[in-house]
Amino acid sequence: MKKWKDILFVMATIFLLAAVSAAAEAPLMLDLHPDHANPSAPVMGDHLRFWSTIINTGADPIEGLVAWISLVEIDPGNEQPVDLEDWSAHKAVTGATLEPGQSLRTGWPMRLIKGGDYRVVVSVTDRGSHTVFTSPTIQFHVRQKPVLQSGRVLPVAAGVPLLIIGLMVFNKTRQHRKKAQL
Amino acid sequence: MKPHWTIAYKESAQMLRSQRGLLWLLAFSGLLSAFSLLLVSNAELSLLDNAQVVYMMSGTVLAAGALLAAILGSDAYAGEKERGTLVPLLCAPIDAGALPAGKALGMLTAWGVMFAVATPYLWAVGASGQNLGAALFYLALFGTPVVLGFGYLAMAVSARTGSVLASLLSTIALLMLAASPLLIGPGLRGTVIGRALDAVNPFAGALNTFDSVIIDSEPLSAQFARLLLVVAWLVLCLLAARRRAANPNFQ
Repeated sequence: MKKWKDILFVMATIFLLAAVSAAAEAPLMLDLHPDHANPSAPVMGDHLRFWSTIINTGADPIEGLVAWISLVEIDPGNEQPVDLEDWSAHKAVTGATLEPGQSLRTGWPMRLIKGGDYRVVVSVTDRGSHTVFTSPTIQFHVRQKPVLQSGRVLPVAAGVPLLIIGLMVFNKTRQHRKKAQL
Repeated sequence: MKPHWTIAYKESAQMLRSQRGLLWLLAFSGLLSAFSLLLVSNAELSLLDNAQVVYMMSGTVLAAGALLAAILGSDAYAGEKERGTLVPLLCAPIDAGALPAGKALGMLTAWGVMFAVATPYLWAVGASGQNLGAALFYLALFGTPVVLGFGYLAMAVSARTGSVLASLLSTIALLMLAASPLLIGPGLRGTVIGRALDAVNPFAGALNTFDSVIIDSEPLSAQFARLLLVVAWLVLCLLAARRRAANPNFQ
């Protein structure tokens, strides 16, 4: 029995060492943190900024580097990736080259379009490797707010057509008067 | 008064004084009212960002403006021909360019009136958000060449075919194709074909500019390529209208 335990211990140690070794061979380090100016309790319409730092920890240059930001909504029952079309005009960095030891710091601005709970992550890959590296995720909550004020919309929505109808009635009356005078 | 101003004055008066023009304005304001009321009455839509709503409404205003220009442009030659007034008009001692110039000024006035009608709606949905001023500025800057371009194009087809119906159908079909980005989501437009169409479609160019300046707050310097596209569209349609107007279909 002890013999089997020893064998299992040796195998586990080998797997652990292999995993640590593989992690140590990762050619880059990726970090993500929020900007210190970000609001602590963001509301729809606020702007957030995240900063990613990519460091080439390997011995070879990393060429054709692509980094992109992803946002995932994690509201219960509404878990889904978010199309960043309206959230950000800066969604990726492409074609960069990182020499060994060199780092690339990138700011990711974002405008909060919709309320809910979200997680943001930056992913990186390059031309040579077949791996996608991901940064630590950052979770944040966006408070909802009603952005359209019905008190402003209703008078305009009713008033403008009424004004045009009034103009039509005025025109018609004037034409009738002109005809009557003739 | 110069002949083109006289024609422009008569065309403009149709928009503001005739029941037909006012009816169009009433339909246009009814469309914007329905859109605004839908936004405030729907819980999901009422949470849309102000800038997003202003962007959507700007696209709607642009589409309605282009539609009106297509109608007025289609009537420019073929309508005169069908009413039997084209030949006397062309025989009148006026410069050859006065007729298209007067008609175009009339379309410009109609677009100006529509812009004025749309302004309170844009204010109502966007005043508490960002970039309302930019939205109005870029709607004028990009909307005017797009709208006038459709008007000139309709004028060219109208002079070529001599039929209001043929001109109206072909121009509106093209307008529907051009305005499809209003309905097609950005995901579908991200394909190679979508991007290629966006690159040559002046309507999509104007919409992408609205998106860029209203939602993403990007500067004018980022819009030059799209500005070039809409100006090129206007110039091409103007040249087509001038060429066809020099030799309209009398048969």
